[in-house]
Amino acid sequence: MAGKPGTTPTTYSPSPTNQKIRRPIFNENEVDWVRPDGRGFHQCRPAFFRTGAVNAASGSAYAEFGNTKVIVSVFGPRESKKAMMYSDIGRLNCSVSYTTFATPARGQGSEHKDFSSMLHKSLEGAIILETFPKTTVDVFALVLESGGSDLPVVISCASLALADAGILMHDLVASVSLSCLGKNLVIDPILEEESYQDGGLLITCMPSRYEVTQLTVTGEWSTPKINEGMQLCLDACSKLAKIMRSCLKEATSTSQE
Amino acid sequence: MVGLSLGEKHFIQGGIAQDIRSDGRKRLTYRPINVETGVIPQANGSARIRMGATDVISTVKAELGKPISLQPDKGKVSIYVDCSPTAAPMFEGRGGEELSTELSVALQRSLLGGKSGAGAGIDLSSLVVVEGKICWDLYIDCLVVCSDGNLLDALGAAIKAALSNTGIPRVQVAAGASGDEQPEVDISDEEFLQFDTSDIPVIVTLTKVGRHYIVDATTEEESQMSSAISISVNRKGHICGLTKRGGAGLDPSIVLDMISVAKHVSEQLMNKLDSEIAAAEAGEDES
Repeated sequence: MAGKPGTTPTTYSPSPTNQKIRRPIFNENEVDWVRPDGRGFHQCRPAFFRTGAVNAASGSAYAEFGNTKVIVSVFGPRESKKAMMYSDIGRLNCSVSYTTFATPARGQGSEHKDFSSMLHKSLEGAIILETFPKTTVDVFALVLESGGSDLPVVISCASLALADAGILMHDLVASVSLSCLGKNLVIDPILEEESYQDGGLLITCMPSRYEVTQLTVTGEWSTPKINEGMQLCLDACSKLAKIMRSCLKEATSTSQE
Repeated sequence: MVGLSLGEKHFIQGGIAQDIRSDGRKRLTYRPINVETGVIPQANGSARIRMGATDVISTVKAELGKPISLQPDKGKVSIYVDCSPTAAPMFEGRGGEELSTELSVALQRSLLGGKSGAGAGIDLSSLVVVEGKICWDLYIDCLVVCSDGNLLDALGAAIKAALSNTGIPRVQVAAGASGDEQPEVDISDEEFLQFDTSDIPVIVTLTKVGRHYIVDATTEEESQMSSAISISVNRKGHICGLTKRGGAGLDPSIVLDMISVAKHVSEQLMNKLDSEIAAAEAGEDES
């Protein structure tokens, strides 16, 4: 499942500097519990990426974070539909859907409109749309198994698929979410934790440029808490981008051999 | 889409940079807010908010329903926004649908809190009649009558006004029902319970044009934005939800700065809105 050992770290947990802040949080509230999958609060699930999952697509990627499994294919740039107006920059069309068996209760398998628009908004800032005028790039994401933090995994995986398709981007887009449970911040929540969360925070960013392309917050947060949450997520994002980058390098080096 | 000439674009951007916008406002000044309550007699509560040419109506309808088994002690609230093509031709078909979903999701994020119900502006546990059996379902429907920018803030304010206008009928539960039976209820048509709306946050959207941010942007100004952040802040100064629009990336420190500006602006907006709502309610009682 996981990548080859030794080549790159498979986890993208924030660096130990944050663990200094973490200890007092535990003691002061006396609410220390073990997460259902045995991780620490600030420990992410191992990330696994593989590009070139679909042959027919111009670029594709498969991502597996714990039980969350998604596949993203990118088609294009190809001619825009005839009905579309002339545009001197390229168009990005995103669609996120779930398989009927992705969720514990059998789903509809239809397009998830909210996630589709979030994916679009996260990626459009990173893609250099000027490079393919009059054409459309289609990004189709399919969640094979929903295991929590679905949207961040879809976004990261989609940016990898775009890179695999050779579409010019300012930077890779990495995304990490975080749940607020009681007074603790839990990074990369699984489905169970997400359903009980008091609040959630999702960041998508371009780590090399240090720019946030999308940010959503739900629930009640104080400013210091938002600060802490954002720092944790940004740190994790930059580590996740390293894993993504090494996956791309691996793919090109094997194809050259 | 707004068709603006190069000169007009420069005029808007230059004005914002010099802290005097095309309608004479400063960067952090709202347009005058006009509140009317009780505009839809069919609903349990309703309000109409006008900010400049932006005109929205929000209604609240309450129906008795059954709480979901996961949260037996909480009522249900659903928020839906309709962007009618009568407001602008671009709302027709898919464009309106996309905007409607985007606004609905942003409002749900701001008003309903986390999945566990913590931090919700509307106190869901006050909607329960009999735990696990009967609760009130609130349907909050909003209509965009006319759009001239800053829809989200106006919708947030309209929902707050509509909820403070809402009267929920008192319910008498017939004694004697036991076990799994659904108890019989008697809905009073004279006694109404008022909602506590003091915890409901206001939404402040900061639109970034050039290097500066403005509040309450008009459509013309919105067309010049690089990105916008909508932040909902409650009376305690806590952030209850945050949504970003626009594709351009932002430095994390700018995001934090925008949050602190929004908190500052929200205090004034909250006070102004409260007094406007109180005035509208008083005016309605007289007439």
